[in-house]
Amino acid sequence: MAETPDAIRKSIRTYLFVGAVLFIGTVVTVMVATVPWLDVGNHGFDAWDAVLGLAIATTKASLVAAVFMHLNHEKKAVYWLFGSGIVFVTALFGLTALAKSDPIHDSRFYGKESVTPAPLASPTLR
Amino acid sequence: MEIPYIVTPRKDTGLFNSKIAIWLFLASEVMLFGGFFSAYVFLRIGADYPWPERTLPVLPGLINTFILIGSSVTVVFAWASLKMRQWRRFQFFMTVTIACAAIFMVLKGLEYNVKFHHQAVRLPDYTVIEGHLGYEKEKGKEVLDHHGRKIEENRILIEASGLTFSTVRFHTPWVEELLSQAAHRNAKITLAEDVSAITREGQAVGILAKAGEPLSPALLERLQEAHLEARSHNGALRTAALREKWTAAKAENPGKRGWQIASGVNIDATALEPKLLTEIGTVAFKVDPPARMNFKPRDVREGDTQSRLRDDTVIDGKLLASPMVFHNVDAIDFRHLAMKAVEKGQDPMAAIENSWLINNHAFAREAWEWNKAEVAKLEKTLIATYKVDPKTGKPNREPTAKERYRIGWKEFAKKAEDAGRPKLGFWGRISEEFKGPNYAARGEETFPHLSLPREQIGFSSKFTPAWNTYYAIYFTITGLHGLHVIGGALVLAYYLFFGRKMYESNPEWLANRVEIGGLFWHFVDLVWIFAFPIFYLM
Repeated sequence: MAETPDAIRKSIRTYLFVGAVLFIGTVVTVMVATVPWLDVGNHGFDAWDAVLGLAIATTKASLVAAVFMHLNHEKKAVYWLFGSGIVFVTALFGLTALAKSDPIHDSRFYGKESVTPAPLASPTLR
Repeated sequence: MEIPYIVTPRKDTGLFNSKIAIWLFLASEVMLFGGFFSAYVFLRIGADYPWPERTLPVLPGLINTFILIGSSVTVVFAWASLKMRQWRRFQFFMTVTIACAAIFMVLKGLEYNVKFHHQAVRLPDYTVIEGHLGYEKEKGKEVLDHHGRKIEENRILIEASGLTFSTVRFHTPWVEELLSQAAHRNAKITLAEDVSAITREGQAVGILAKAGEPLSPALLERLQEAHLEARSHNGALRTAALREKWTAAKAENPGKRGWQIASGVNIDATALEPKLLTEIGTVAFKVDPPARMNFKPRDVREGDTQSRLRDDTVIDGKLLASPMVFHNVDAIDFRHLAMKAVEKGQDPMAAIENSWLINNHAFAREAWEWNKAEVAKLEKTLIATYKVDPKTGKPNREPTAKERYRIGWKEFAKKAEDAGRPKLGFWGRISEEFKGPNYAARGEETFPHLSLPREQIGFSSKFTPAWNTYYAIYFTITGLHGLHVIGGALVLAYYLFFGRKMYESNPEWLANRVEIGGLFWHFVDLVWIFAFPIFYLM
């Protein structure tokens, strides 16, 4: 941890650099979502845009956590505390995957085998 | 008493105590926001309507992102300045941080305000119309409600000639509202006939309130009191009489079960009658002259000649044509209609051509035709740039559902500009990004007038959580985030304005405090780093 004034003076350039990267990252996020020739995947928003957008956001968030929040050189206790929070959140996101296999969309759920299951409404129409 | 380990680290953890505390708190915060973000994913996957993707204005969101990132840098600098014992620098950077928080909240407030004044309505055929709501102007003036405010909401209009209140359920604020509406129309609400009742056992009928007495909450409360007293009195009498009968019946039929003798146990109603007090369940008033009153759709179940409020007040009177009048329509959205058509196996384009709006309003057809031409142009450009897949014969890239089926305010503006309407200047357009379309400058030629008959109103709402789950989760996450910004800024401001004394006595302690506050501030920034692309760009 940058404790001594000298060490802090040295790390100021790092902070400025990270700040600049964050600004650039934000501009890039907006550009890949709005400039047509930077659009990944299909035209308009689709899964690839989500992956790219979230990847940039995760990179930015990791930079904030590592440098501004000093997670790049922290004590073990902090890693355990924060890490356990992250583990629970990941598990929670895993639960949303269950929505895909919700039996409510399965006609056999109602005991009527002959009925074709209603399609899961797609968030975007193409 | 000295608090241990606030400056020096504890041996077992290697950290000062407040740092452990803030990380515990941040871990819980991660789970809190994680919960909401996973709720977002869940709602989006399961949405049974077209998700309003990329619907928020990007510019305010982008500026807010810059502001929060900038403030994250300055809060680190404020902490570093304290570590280097530079008080003036600390003051400067902390002031900038708090100013950033203030600007962020102002922009957020502007964004919310636009949503709270923007109305959407879904027609029975799932066409969605958005715009600015009001009532028809009368003699060139806005129609004001009884408070003198412009009506900007969907309302049910009734020419009320009589009101019957339930003495138990009447809702006092609504009674006051009715009185104020009547006063606005120069009408009086008076008791239709005498309310006469027996209020003491064995006494004669007395008059509680005379016909013609004006409506007031006090009058209703008085009648309510008499009613409740009568009801409890009568109830007690009936119970006592019934108990007597039961005791007698049980004595006459020893060994029998209750259900075997129950049919023979009856109260002698005529014997009880003289002892009973009069219950006043409802009380009728007349409105003279009959006055036009307006009600929120959620408060009233309307009928042609009689309507009922949620507090069981019955309104006698003709239901007036209560159209929903858009002063300015700024978006027509056929995405939901198209989705329903596809679900039914129909052609979405044919469904749109057959929609009520297209067939009843020339401006809608005109806008639709214009949009079709725009989509055709876009299709051409996409084919020219990205070619056609030789295997399937389909273009590699196609216009999105939003481009095909939604005519938003920017499209309306472009259409009008193409037709020769003057363009707005640079700052005019920037201001629209923050405040929404400028109806006054662009005029009715751009954003047309529309009067929607009541039977065509399926569901209407402002852009609040009531409109759909997208806005529900948007307001939940951004609102909660905004509260965090305010809370964090308050803590940092406390260090700035009240930290001097601690700085002089124990600067390291203050530096540690600022580090803790800073950690929270970075976390707030971190949440926004995810919230911005998710809500504004996806």
